[in-house]
Amino acid sequence: MALPEKPTAWLMSAGAALMFIVGCFNVLFRAKPSLFSAFSSRTQTSVASDDSLDADDSCADTTELAMAMTAWKQTQLRASASASSSRAESAPIGGDIAPARSVADAYPSLHSVAVDPESNQVFVSDSNRGAIFSYNRDAGSNSPQMANPERVIRGPRTGMMFVAGISLDTANHEIFAVNNDIGDRMEVFPYDTEGNIKPKRVLSVPHGAWGVAFDPMRKEVAVSIEHPNTVVVYRREASGSEAPLRVLRGPETDLADPHGIVVDSAHNEMLVANHGNWAPLTREEEESEGGLRGGHFAMPSINTYAIEAKGDEKPTRKIQGAQTQLNWPMGLSLDPMHDEIAVANYGTNSILVFRRNAAGNVAPVRVIKGDRTGVLGPMGVAIDTKNDELWVTNYRDHTAVVFSRTASGNVAPKRVLRNAPMGTPAVGFGNPGAIAYDSKRGQILVPN
Amino acid sequence: MHGIAYDPVHDEIVVPVHLAGAVLVFRASASGEEAPIRIIQGPHTRILRPETVNLDLKNNEIVVGEDGGKDVMFFPRDANGDIAPLRTIRGEKTGLDEVRGVAVDPIRNLLVVSSRGEGKGTTGVFVFNRTDNGDVAPRAVIAGPKSGIIRVRQVEVDPEQGKIFVAVKNNAESYKFADASPSPWNPEKPGFIGVWDINDNGDVPPRGIIKGPASEMVWPAGVALNAGDREVYTIDSVSNGMYSYYMPEFFPPKKPATKQ
Repeated sequence: MALPEKPTAWLMSAGAALMFIVGCFNVLFRAKPSLFSAFSSRTQTSVASDDSLDADDSCADTTELAMAMTAWKQTQLRASASASSSRAESAPIGGDIAPARSVADAYPSLHSVAVDPESNQVFVSDSNRGAIFSYNRDAGSNSPQMANPERVIRGPRTGMMFVAGISLDTANHEIFAVNNDIGDRMEVFPYDTEGNIKPKRVLSVPHGAWGVAFDPMRKEVAVSIEHPNTVVVYRREASGSEAPLRVLRGPETDLADPHGIVVDSAHNEMLVANHGNWAPLTREEEESEGGLRGGHFAMPSINTYAIEAKGDEKPTRKIQGAQTQLNWPMGLSLDPMHDEIAVANYGTNSILVFRRNAAGNVAPVRVIKGDRTGVLGPMGVAIDTKNDELWVTNYRDHTAVVFSRTASGNVAPKRVLRNAPMGTPAVGFGNPGAIAYDSKRGQILVPN
Repeated sequence: MHGIAYDPVHDEIVVPVHLAGAVLVFRASASGEEAPIRIIQGPHTRILRPETVNLDLKNNEIVVGEDGGKDVMFFPRDANGDIAPLRTIRGEKTGLDEVRGVAVDPIRNLLVVSSRGEGKGTTGVFVFNRTDNGDVAPRAVIAGPKSGIIRVRQVEVDPEQGKIFVAVKNNAESYKFADASPSPWNPEKPGFIGVWDINDNGDVPPRGIIKGPASEMVWPAGVALNAGDREVYTIDSVSNGMYSYYMPEFFPPKKPATKQ
């Protein structure tokens, strides 16, 4: 099969999803301690060039050397003990072994963002540690200082795992959060929740939930589901295993790996961002639809549906094509006052703004993009019309950045909300499900 | 993506794209938004939702495991486009349900598959003949309470030793809202890396294990081997962490050949 004419879609599907974790792995414990100067637990989140394989003295510092020496001694003792062990032959070898090295991000990975200008609060989800942070709306600055959250919801009682989209019911002061890929639940928390506590309500949702949008007019919650290419709509107060009010799914919907979702109550519409990946869910589904369809990559899109669309209903319009610049569109935000929508465009580290009723292969009316913007791996976007601001959460940086609503081009943000010391690299793991070893480069490969 | 394999001979990376029914091959040095050099995708591939991949470099094949498709497919290593698989293991006799890991032992001509039964079938490690095709029964299944396997993910084989390494994710998501102190994971049933002999069969405990609070594993989802440095690597879904273990016990030095 020839490669597709427009490679963007399949590149977005896989190319950027590989996370290469590089360290000076090759000499840790097999080496004599004198070689530890080449060891590091340093991580890089970008793909390493072959140059990075060169010995790098900067890998080593006093702490790492001490850790490596201690670990080396421990493992030598363990190996010795194992060799002379008198343990029962049936006991497995190994045991509760401490890792020689580990790579994990101690800081949050900001995912989605939602603003309530009336209560002057902003909420962000953290898919790394399964948390929701609330900040004062004017948090952040132009300094390297970290911002202190007003509250943090986190811990096993919350049920949050790979938490993705969040949405707000500003009238009832509730936060809706959905978990993607693991934790097939929607949790609902009051604004003033804090710590490791149970949610106010928990609703089971289909596997692969990503986006969530509260509709204050209909008192409903819409959830986008990646795996089955579906949108499900529930009552606001739904809990447990309650069935959805409506399900939008089928080949006519053109839903393809849906992510961000917003509800436009004023115009009775629902907008959904699609990555463009599509494959039959089961063999039964494939055969019921004529069989032998196979998967495919489509161009990413933003599809608009009637707000009460259900079944295999077609979109009323689509933004799709090369002019749109859409590339891994993630979160969406609607500006009903100025009739615009903003898109967190992860694939090109940009924010795209379209007219609300744009259709076809159209260019965005504004683009925030460039090295001055601080936009890096944007996942979430939120427009605050009261304060004329636009919020962006960066997955590949420990920041949220705030712009004027009409910002355009390569512009610096008004302020930066940091949740890690400036310059701290973001590891970027998001429910990693496999691992491989590149023996040529001494690298470990982890797909998200 | 829940799978990845590295090809040290051709210096390539293979990944499944679950949501687009595709297997992509990249240069191993690929960087940024770089195009794959080959794509296996389309109706003739019969690929549905590929979950995991691995390579059999001796026989020049890509092995693809599917969770929704409940099967294992073999393609030529250099396959490109909408082509039919060489062989497919699928059907009731196979016992396969949601396939989460595949690995080949080219020395013994065996295929190792981890499969999750989801209450209907067996969750465990299945061993087939490498050239099996169609609806065939496995030659061995490692599963049961003594095995400690509740949920499985990626598998890897060390053919030199004839050992199977398994990422045993274990405790299923079990958030019970009514509980006074609910949790999505069961701290009393942590996951582990288990090592079995490739000739093991039935409800047998692992011969090697990395498990416990010091290991920092909660839900290990993947396993990779670096036999040269005697290391085992895993990644964890709960902690979003990657862990490297130095395990000389798992990689004993080769015995020198004795002169006749």
